[in-house]
Amino acid sequence: MPEIFIDGKRYEFEGKPKLLQFILDNGKEVPFFCYHPEMSAPANCRQCYVKVGTPVQNRETGEYELDENGERVIRWFPKMQTSCSMEMTDGMVVHTQESSEEVARAQKDTMELILINHPLDCPICDQAGECPLQIQTYKYGPEGSRFEVKKVHKPKRVELGPRVTLDAERCINCTRCVRFTEEISGTHQLTIASRGDKNYPITAPGMEFDDPYSLNTVDICPVGALTSTDFRFKARVWEMNQTPSIDITGGKGTNVDLWTRDNLVLRLTPRYNENVNTHWMPDESRMAYTKFNENRISRPSIKADGDNQIKTSWNNAIETFAEKLEAVKPADVLVLGSAHASVEENYALMKTFSTWGVNDFHFSPDVKEGFGDDFLLTDDQAPNTKGVKALGFSETSAEDLKAAIKSAKVVVLLNDELVDRGVLGSEDLKKPYVISLATNETETSKSTDLVIPITCIAEHAASYVNVEGRIQRSLPAKETKYTHRKLDLEMSEGRLDRYGTNFDNWVNEDNKVDCTPTWELMNNLGKRLGLSVQFGTSREIMDEIASSNSSFEGVSYEKMDDENGIQLTGMNKEEVSA
Amino acid sequence: MANNYEFTPEDLKEIETIKAKFPEVMPATLPTLWVAQRRFGHVEPEVQHLVAETLDLPVSHVHGVATFYTQYYKEKMGKYVLDVCTTTSCQLCGGYDMLHYLENKLGIKAGETTKDGMFSIQSVECLGACGYAPMMQITNDVYVNNLTEEKLDEVIESLKADKMPEFESVGMPQHTERS
Repeated sequence: MPEIFIDGKRYEFEGKPKLLQFILDNGKEVPFFCYHPEMSAPANCRQCYVKVGTPVQNRETGEYELDENGERVIRWFPKMQTSCSMEMTDGMVVHTQESSEEVARAQKDTMELILINHPLDCPICDQAGECPLQIQTYKYGPEGSRFEVKKVHKPKRVELGPRVTLDAERCINCTRCVRFTEEISGTHQLTIASRGDKNYPITAPGMEFDDPYSLNTVDICPVGALTSTDFRFKARVWEMNQTPSIDITGGKGTNVDLWTRDNLVLRLTPRYNENVNTHWMPDESRMAYTKFNENRISRPSIKADGDNQIKTSWNNAIETFAEKLEAVKPADVLVLGSAHASVEENYALMKTFSTWGVNDFHFSPDVKEGFGDDFLLTDDQAPNTKGVKALGFSETSAEDLKAAIKSAKVVVLLNDELVDRGVLGSEDLKKPYVISLATNETETSKSTDLVIPITCIAEHAASYVNVEGRIQRSLPAKETKYTHRKLDLEMSEGRLDRYGTNFDNWVNEDNKVDCTPTWELMNNLGKRLGLSVQFGTSREIMDEIASSNSSFEGVSYEKMDDENGIQLTGMNKEEVSA
Repeated sequence: MANNYEFTPEDLKEIETIKAKFPEVMPATLPTLWVAQRRFGHVEPEVQHLVAETLDLPVSHVHGVATFYTQYYKEKMGKYVLDVCTTTSCQLCGGYDMLHYLENKLGIKAGETTKDGMFSIQSVECLGACGYAPMMQITNDVYVNNLTEEKLDEVIESLKADKMPEFESVGMPQHTERS
């Protein structure tokens, strides 16, 4: 097998990997800016310099020439090479900054050059704290600048498009964003204009950077040049807490990170998963965080007189729920699951009601024909359509749903905005007594008689099955009134969470929503109705599902965490239809 | 973008010939921009859009190329663009004097165009004719060497009469000595 010697250590490799990627894959480090594993390597930042040599080989015999000590004679490349574009060959010898003063010096000098026109505005820059330029300057850069004259000034606060704002002075012209539009999203909207010392990325005149994936350029920008117009100046990176989760605005199940501060989700960024979304996520999904913070239903509400809802106690809500059920036969109750809710929530709902005597369960799929592309957007607007189906909820069309509601006396609706997305009109919910378990105040929740708040994906650990039949799970990022970061081992703590107290002025109790997970609500309801159902944590519910439902065989939270989601057997990619 | 510019059939034919020279269409950007600039006198954003459309390339690419080369005019210029060199050699030999003389004579500053649309003045970097300093170039074409105020007067007069000055071959000192 071909071999390579990096910093005196021997590695074996296969194929023709590029040097930088190989170094990174082996847990070593070389600083770089313009290289990105998903895109071509133009080698224009010149930061990943290493010293490379190849052994001298006798052309006829193919034998390596040896020196007097019996060591291979190495012919060094006359200049430093950029490791990102360097193809590895058998016997190659590489020195990185770790074993060569010369390389360390070359990297330091390159960095000094890159920093010449870079403004020193880290204290007000959004990228500070997660900035490759900042980090690598600390690690490999010069201690100061010898450049004493005025820096080049470029445009600031340029609205490249509806979602991206450019600060051209901070740009180091790595062209990652330009290559993203050329190679990944394919819109070719960006270019580097005025090449020279005044260069910066920009759209063609009269054009907008309205690429449906434009915010990915903000993520890959190695400096603070491209910033998210929405997130700009909202929070410092180190104040936030990062929790892995799943995108719920589409069927792809894009892996995301939720960034929270004081129990508010402030932004979503993509999380790498080679089987789903790699490094990217659509702009569409990024605004989902507002739903986790705003218009949340906190405390149950009940329709008192006419159409006015008033807040009520949890006891009253459970009591009313049970009384309404007890007044009718199970056959008169319509239970609607939801493709917008997790597997565990739907399961808890189904199990409770089937124990009580309900036999058929329905859900209304949320599909927008023609919405999807071949990348990360899907026609399916719900994150869990396949999961609900696998649990045994039957797909029901709008007409059938309307008829079923008409003939039912009580309707139990799990988090699904049926009125808002036009499946039903609010008048359709007039006749039966409608109990909705909902996260957000919507037209749908307004049209129902009893609204019980449940946790959203940012507040519970739960699983979702994407359009390709891959089950992935979320972790709780926000506390509710009844959870606590320090007690819930699924939750993580940011600096402010860890070192802050309830008496700090940045802590706001109002950010915690008064809601419970669906399965806890079902526990309370079951207890009141005298049913023998009892749910533990969502982790235990998943174990229960795995042992009782063959579609979910072998699924557990541990396995999902280890493998970044599990492809369910017997589920392949087939489009769900309305 | 609504486009008020259009290539003539001859232009399109020329662009086809240009495209045929290259295995891919991208390298045809530069010569096609020249065709456009010859036709319209500039490559304003709208013209860049036209070029991109004609070549079926992203507008952003054409824009990036056009902004790199100062020889492409990204805005409307005068009929004659006077590029006065003000880099070292010309500067030392009076390049700025020539520039200021021109500015006063035409009543505009460097970077501006006269009202009648005849002249634009630009202060440019080295044009590689240090031996004939101070010098200027007219509309990416003829070099006018060893400028003096009188010579500038003459040049302006002849340009007003739509007559480009003749190219004058100036031998390097070593050559003139020998002959």
